[in-house]
Amino acid sequence: MSIRQAMLAILEQGPMYGYQLRAEFEQRTGETWPLNIGQVYTTLTRLERDGMVEVVESAAEDGSDRTHVSYRATESGRSEVSEWFATPVPRTQPPRDELAIKLAIAVTLPGVDVATIIQRQRSATMTSLQDYTRLKRTGRAANPEAPEDLAWSLVLDSLVFDAEAEVRWLDHCEARLRRAAADRPAASAHATPTATPETSDGVAR
Amino acid sequence: MNAVLHLAAASRVHGEGATEVHALRGVTFRAHPGELVAVMGPSGSGKSTLLTLAGGLDAPTAGSVWIEGTDLATLDHAGRARMRRTSVGYVFQDFNLIPALTAAENVALPRELDGEKGKVARRLALTALEEVGIPDLADRFPDEMSGGQQQRVAIARAIVGERRLILADEPTGALDTDTGEEILRLLRARCDAGAAGVMVTHEARHAAWADRVVFLRDGVVVDETGADEPEALLVEESGR
Amino acid sequence: MSGWRPALRIAWRDALRHRGRSILVLVMISLPVLAVSATAIVIKTAEVSGLEGVDRTLGAADARVRTEGRGEILQAPDPGSGTWTQVGDVDADDPITEDDLRAVLGDDARLVPITSTWSRARVGERVVFLTTTGVDLADPLAAPLFALDSGHLPRTAGEAVVNQATLDRGLAMGDEVNVGGEQLTIVGVGRDATLRDEPLLLASADDLPSEAANVREWLVGAGPVTWSQVRELNGIGGVVTSRAVLADPPELPQALEDAAASDSGRNQAIAVIGLIVVMALIEVVLLAGPAFAVGARRHSRTLALIAASGGTPAQARRVILGSGVVLGLVASFVGLLLGGVLGWAVLPLAQRFDERWFGPFELPWPYLAAIVAFGLASAFLASVVPAYLASRQDVVAVLAGRRGDRSPRASTPVIGLVMLVLGIVASVYGALTSDSGDGGVWIAASAVISVLGMVLVVPVVVAAIARLSSRLPLTARYAARDAARHRTRTVPAVAAVAATVAGVVALGIANASDELENVRTYQAQAPMGSGYVSWAPEVLTGEELPDATAAWARIEEAVHRAAPDVRTTTWRGLDEPYDPHGYTSTMLESRGDRAAQEALDECCLRTLGAAIAVADSAAELGVQGPAADAIDAALSSGRAVVFTVSADLDGDVAVTQETWSADGDLAESRTSDAVPAAFIAWDGQDWGWAPSSSILPTVVADELGLDVTTTSLRLSGDLDEATETRIAEQVEGAAAGTYTYVERGYERAPYAFIVLLVLAVLAGVLMLGGTLTATFLALSDARPDLATLSAVGAAPRTRRRVAAAYALVIGFVGALLGAGVGFIPGVAISRPLTSVPITGAPEQGPFLDIPWLLIGVIVLALPLLTAAIVGLTARSRLPLVARLD
Repeated sequence: MSIRQAMLAILEQGPMYGYQLRAEFEQRTGETWPLNIGQVYTTLTRLERDGMVEVVESAAEDGSDRTHVSYRATESGRSEVSEWFATPVPRTQPPRDELAIKLAIAVTLPGVDVATIIQRQRSATMTSLQDYTRLKRTGRAANPEAPEDLAWSLVLDSLVFDAEAEVRWLDHCEARLRRAAADRPAASAHATPTATPETSDGVAR
Repeated sequence: MNAVLHLAAASRVHGEGATEVHALRGVTFRAHPGELVAVMGPSGSGKSTLLTLAGGLDAPTAGSVWIEGTDLATLDHAGRARMRRTSVGYVFQDFNLIPALTAAENVALPRELDGEKGKVARRLALTALEEVGIPDLADRFPDEMSGGQQQRVAIARAIVGERRLILADEPTGALDTDTGEEILRLLRARCDAGAAGVMVTHEARHAAWADRVVFLRDGVVVDETGADEPEALLVEESGR
Repeated sequence: MSGWRPALRIAWRDALRHRGRSILVLVMISLPVLAVSATAIVIKTAEVSGLEGVDRTLGAADARVRTEGRGEILQAPDPGSGTWTQVGDVDADDPITEDDLRAVLGDDARLVPITSTWSRARVGERVVFLTTTGVDLADPLAAPLFALDSGHLPRTAGEAVVNQATLDRGLAMGDEVNVGGEQLTIVGVGRDATLRDEPLLLASADDLPSEAANVREWLVGAGPVTWSQVRELNGIGGVVTSRAVLADPPELPQALEDAAASDSGRNQAIAVIGLIVVMALIEVVLLAGPAFAVGARRHSRTLALIAASGGTPAQARRVILGSGVVLGLVASFVGLLLGGVLGWAVLPLAQRFDERWFGPFELPWPYLAAIVAFGLASAFLASVVPAYLASRQDVVAVLAGRRGDRSPRASTPVIGLVMLVLGIVASVYGALTSDSGDGGVWIAASAVISVLGMVLVVPVVVAAIARLSSRLPLTARYAARDAARHRTRTVPAVAAVAATVAGVVALGIANASDELENVRTYQAQAPMGSGYVSWAPEVLTGEELPDATAAWARIEEAVHRAAPDVRTTTWRGLDEPYDPHGYTSTMLESRGDRAAQEALDECCLRTLGAAIAVADSAAELGVQGPAADAIDAALSSGRAVVFTVSADLDGDVAVTQETWSADGDLAESRTSDAVPAAFIAWDGQDWGWAPSSSILPTVVADELGLDVTTTSLRLSGDLDEATETRIAEQVEGAAAGTYTYVERGYERAPYAFIVLLVLAVLAGVLMLGGTLTATFLALSDARPDLATLSAVGAAPRTRRRVAAAYALVIGFVGALLGAGVGFIPGVAISRPLTSVPITGAPEQGPFLDIPWLLIGVIVLALPLLTAAIVGLTARSRLPLVARLD
């Protein structure tokens, strides 16, 4: 959804055609979210259907009779962009997080070494974090000159904080799992001697 | 390249009998020149113990600790103290500056304790203060400085006189984000200049400044990121 | 949180938790309490009040009546310490009789006569001084006065009992002793109820009559003697000590109180005691203060939180004061208990130094309560300043974790300087007015004011030292600056050291000035290196004089035997021999005008020999120099020589002789002869003492029929100490009552050196105590810094060096300040001490001598020594950085 509004916002600057739009988008977002050209045209069509953009035909510059189709933001498109900027991004629906799903399943399955999963994931995330940080202190983001450099730096920071949040969540999961494991022998000591081998149902989440 | 710091299967046990605490169990750990290593772990994992063993402030109950090729066990208290004066620099979370001494005097402390004359020590101190970017605070007392400035002084003290090993215990713990990042920048720069750095931290974002991150759990190393050989580190312009 | 109970509870728990600090404070407060209460107990026990000593004076009697003649008496219920006076005239010829007593006390009153005098008795060659009591010891009323150990009580006349001290003087059981003309045989030995160590002799009242006919004394057995009976007896002239009155004394009218009170020197005594108490209080407060300051610091975070939550400063103060109260109470009572035990244990030792028997064991509760109050007050005061500072602390700084004290108010050192100036003024005033008697009070006050003013100035000095310390090596720089940062802990320690040093310096100056006075006013009794032997036999009434000529011959022979190389010269003169029937006195009076008489009287009040010498030349008397020719001229022409102050005159003098009988007031006979004389000026300043006041030529003495004897034997030659001792022994063996003397100039009494040594040692101990306390507290405060030093690579020895540096800073600053302040009372007090005019002295006071060596030792050497001791005893391991995961 944000791609739609982002493209509208870029089109506000002036009419562009598809490839141009894609290039602009990627450049401004540091090529973090690469776009498929087909994705671009589909979005543009939808935008045109919704009346946010309008087509502008112009003759090709090279003299052939091919016409280049450019897109330009309409009045309602411009107001949509304003509203998009004015409205904070809601967090109502969490995006499908593969890691969270993986861990949720792992904890409920017997015989799965959750601690190792956590540690491996943490190492990997930490490595990414190291890479982001290295980028931050060298290259464009270290000494931003143009506004695009600053934008790239902010995007990089969002990656850093996201990764950090993930590491912290992993630390937290690990701690809770250890606590639960410590409580379980006490619980089973109170239980009757005919206790069944450990089931994961009783684990407090 | 030889490791500046080498813990060989080092263990540390506190207390005895029922109250025994295994702070560190057979940990092998190396830090090479030019490398910044982060040590992460929850409380009780042994990360502070690792640092105190590395600095010679404590002795392992098993295994050995080598700094620049010297086994610390062969040194007496005086020898270990000399090591701390000349080879090892310590940065604490609470800065640990002596309030009765000015910034320059605090930085000059290791040199003066080593017998350096006042003027020479002061010159070295001023150089170190310049490196950390606060030469104008040389004659101020710690009470008259902000947290970030105090930590810079502490770092200056740890690097004065070209030390090869810097040990930092939660160096950004008491600072806000931006100030903390500046401190890390300083440490990073130092390591890039050839020192070996070992940093204990629980902030992943700060640990990410290191070349290698070591995870400690219950006194044991459970994982490591990054390579052992610093030549393998590649810096890329565009990250993907 | 209101009220004292929570504060006291916190204080109690805190005291238990920090044992080391609590014990430190306890020791510092309980030691003075212990010492003073033990002293008070010993002194009070030694004192025998009227009631305590009633059995000693009365035996088993109900009263004891003494009279010296008929005439009204005014007395206190307990006339024992001289608290009675005669009102009006006394008729000595009409003393009270036993009938007079019976008229008041009843016809069936039993009266036992008792006498008490002093006597001398001859024991072989020596004469022993005896206290004698004449009473019938067999009478039940008198029996408790003497406890028999061996032998038996006197049964008949001519028998006497003595105490061990008498036997120690050379007598034995069965010996006969001549006392006052009576021959008494010693038949028993025992212990007197009152006197322990003086020679005593007891016999019947008939054998030992009282010294005068009008002095009479009785033991009375007539039932309880009431106060009204006492007053009746007072009316006729009897001083009564009544058991019943002592047990239940009546209210005294004011007139009697005034008569009873003796006021001499009261102001001075109070001033001295007040000074000692105040100085001791200041010392204890300053020594204990740092401990409370550290306690306050430990509580500072709690107190800051209380303040931040809305607590009042008063509530914050109570927590610290509570600690003062708790520790003060415990320390005072512990000190009191231990003091009581110590006092009781020390009594036998103390008794040996007193010749009177001690009274019953006494716990003087009023004094002990005052001492406990002192202990409490000192603990409370020691905690007041830290409490006050804690309640005013910078809450923000404390919660932010910043260490160190607030900077001092600018006004405090100004007040301190003002007080110092006041102290100087008061001391000068006191010194200048010391002759009128109250000067001592002013000087004492000046000492206290100066010390207090100095205490207020200390913070500024400490801060100044810190600022100047940039050039010092690391440990000294750190110690100086850290000391300045923690003023609450440092200032009391420096002030304690300074107060001690001030006291020692003041005493040292006083002592040195006194010594200088002794040196400068010393008057030689003979030319340096020479000596003399004199002879004065002890003769009792009724005894014959020994043969002087034979005695002197034996003496001279003994001298030559003992020291053949020593030359002897005989000085002759007119002696005043003691005759069984009286004695004769000879003197020279001027016949000329008043000026001559005055010139005669003023000169030569002290002479080397007898007042009137007999010689024929100046050389005989060892006189050389300017006066010798004039003396020779006068003597050879048959004129007497009279020494005067200034004038050289000629004139006549009268040689007057008066004879007195043994016990008369007026001269029995008087003769006067005129003799031509030459008055010669004698310069005492340059020539020393004159050999005599006047000289008569032998012819004149013979003409007047005067008794010329040898007055002394002058010695000259090699007279070292061994020779002197030999001569003295030989000569004493030759004739009893000799005195040998060799002039060696002024010799310092050995105890003077001991006094200085004790002063220096005391100063050292107190200085060590103060610096140890402060350093111990400073090191525990500095643990974080020491841990940092260790982490940064300081050698393990550094802790020692830091400790020594602290001690040096405190000791040196304190000693310097204290020495300066000590001059104020020291110089002032030297003036009254040394301005008493001494007749005949070559120089007169006041004298001032400053013992620079002592001051140098105290200011330089003692702090260094203290620092060395502290450095050696400090633990040498630095604390490790202990981070608990």
